[in-house]
Amino acid sequence: MTSFGFALRRPAAIIGLSLLFLQIVLIIFAPAVSPYSPTEADPLASLLPPSSTHWLGTDISGMDILSRIIFATRINLLISITSVALAFVIGVPLGLLVGYYRGFLSGLIMRIFDFVQAFPIFVLGMALVSVMGQEIWNVATVLAVLFIPIFARLIRAEVLSLRERPFVAAARCSGATDVDIMFRHLLPNALMPAMVQVSISIGMAILLTAGLSFIGAGVRMPTPEWGLMVSSGAQQMILGVWWVSLFPGLAIVLAVLCFALLGDVVRDLMDPMKAQQFARDPEIDLQPIGDNR
Amino acid sequence: MIITFRRQWEVLPRSLQIILGRLALVVPQMFGVLLVTFFLIRLLPGDPAVLLLGNMATPEAVEQLRDRLGLNDSIWTQFLVYCGNVLHGDLGVSIFTSNPVTVDLMERGPATIELIFYGMILTVVIGVAVAVISVRKPGGTVDIVSRFYGLAAGAIPDFWIGLILIYVFFTLLGWAAAPFGRIDVFLNAPPPVTGFYTIDALLAGDFDAFRSAAGRLVLPVITLAIVNAGGLMKMTQSVFSGVWESDFVRHARACGVPERVIMRAALRNSLPPIITMIGFLVGFLLGAAVLVETIFSWGGLGQYAVQAVMNSDYPALQGFILVAAAFTLLVYLVVDILYELVDPRIKV
Repeated sequence: MTSFGFALRRPAAIIGLSLLFLQIVLIIFAPAVSPYSPTEADPLASLLPPSSTHWLGTDISGMDILSRIIFATRINLLISITSVALAFVIGVPLGLLVGYYRGFLSGLIMRIFDFVQAFPIFVLGMALVSVMGQEIWNVATVLAVLFIPIFARLIRAEVLSLRERPFVAAARCSGATDVDIMFRHLLPNALMPAMVQVSISIGMAILLTAGLSFIGAGVRMPTPEWGLMVSSGAQQMILGVWWVSLFPGLAIVLAVLCFALLGDVVRDLMDPMKAQQFARDPEIDLQPIGDNR
Repeated sequence: MIITFRRQWEVLPRSLQIILGRLALVVPQMFGVLLVTFFLIRLLPGDPAVLLLGNMATPEAVEQLRDRLGLNDSIWTQFLVYCGNVLHGDLGVSIFTSNPVTVDLMERGPATIELIFYGMILTVVIGVAVAVISVRKPGGTVDIVSRFYGLAAGAIPDFWIGLILIYVFFTLLGWAAAPFGRIDVFLNAPPPVTGFYTIDALLAGDFDAFRSAAGRLVLPVITLAIVNAGGLMKMTQSVFSGVWESDFVRHARACGVPERVIMRAALRNSLPPIITMIGFLVGFLLGAAVLVETIFSWGGLGQYAVQAVMNSDYPALQGFILVAAAFTLLVYLVVDILYELVDPRIKV
């Protein structure tokens, strides 16, 4: 728990962790905390401004915005976390292999990454989702495809420098197999940048998901989703109906901010130089990662 | 043969070596981009001919189209035909507008490029200026504001901040121009020379059109800058503070070199990473333009792409992403060349 205590000494970490906690609570207890059904339209209550009955107002079909924001936490975080988890699980071993074995196949995989990354990320995401069909799982898969090169490259870059280090030669001399070297010696030491990237990528995924839904290339009505909610209010914004788009957008900002802050914390925790700067408490011991101490 | 070639290469001026070397790398990259755009449409579940004609088409019509599209040939033949078509500037026919996609894209391109161009300028000005001031006066107002801004900027969705700006500055305050397109509907667009309405209007001496076009640009450009300047600012801060605290700056100051000259030297030394970052920005801006154009009914490439997505207009979508990738690669090319030109330490 020492690293937890270290994290608590920074205001950014406190805000990040509380936002994360809030989101977890909302995801688990969504039906209990939301005052109305997130998908039930009430034509009589269309476009009501925020009031004591509807705290954040209602949208054009009379659905309660607060309830929809709460339920949307599930969809948005589900898509974002799934996509990043997929990208991590595929990208990390791929980066390890591509960095360790430098043959024709590795070169080919790197070139494919180059080709994919030549496209602006939002543009390619938009095209892929619209071609694959606009469903929740397709959005998650597409985002995973877009993120795989990022993780693979981070790991590869680390492995390329680590594989020349003496401890790898030592492991090989003591009879370690390639798999041993890759997963027991290289991976733990190469993982740090990828771990930081996880948090940043979740934030990116939230923004991309919302953007895709906003232009109609993501999930569809009446699914509660933040980007879709912002878009459903876009037409009325100019007429002075501000609450339909404002609040879901704020939810996006807070969610992304949360993961950005957590990313900073993870980076500082894992960077021994930085961590020592913050560590005023001698009880905090910073343990090296992996089994090559 | 090879030796004479190498000798000829070595006597070329350095800048020419850089440019030629980079150009040679673009060919395989473009090939890869073509490969991705081609196979993207192959991902479509079902028969492209049926998709193009719709479900009501007769089997004969589908077979005819399959034949005309070459769908009965092997996939590699199809790819070669596709490459050939693209090289001839033929990107197919849009299902929605029934114009050749190339014509549609050429018509809408300048709108997007004008938007991105001004967006880029404002982003760089804000990003670099805030970073430099915050490094020179640590703990000052700008420094503190920049810390919050750097954190928030990455979290703000561009489509949302655009809507908020419209609400505040158009609906509430009435300061901004209406968010409907590039120019007032009652004004004629200036005769196209550069495709930039602002520049064309000035060239034509039409100041009403200029005022209208410039006014329409304000909110979308600010939207792009707010969202994208944060990343550039953070990056510039870290590079510039490294240079600002370096020995050569301290030495120059100890020697009594005027602050203005030190600034110039320090900025020039932080330039290479900043240039790279600006290159990446173009890709972001192009993606952001898709969303921002939708909000401001801009009528550029981004809005065209969104239309294509909504109407399952696959030739149009394919054409757009090809052009988007080609444009990005072109920018990366220019950036790489500039990068090597400004940093004389890099060996070619």
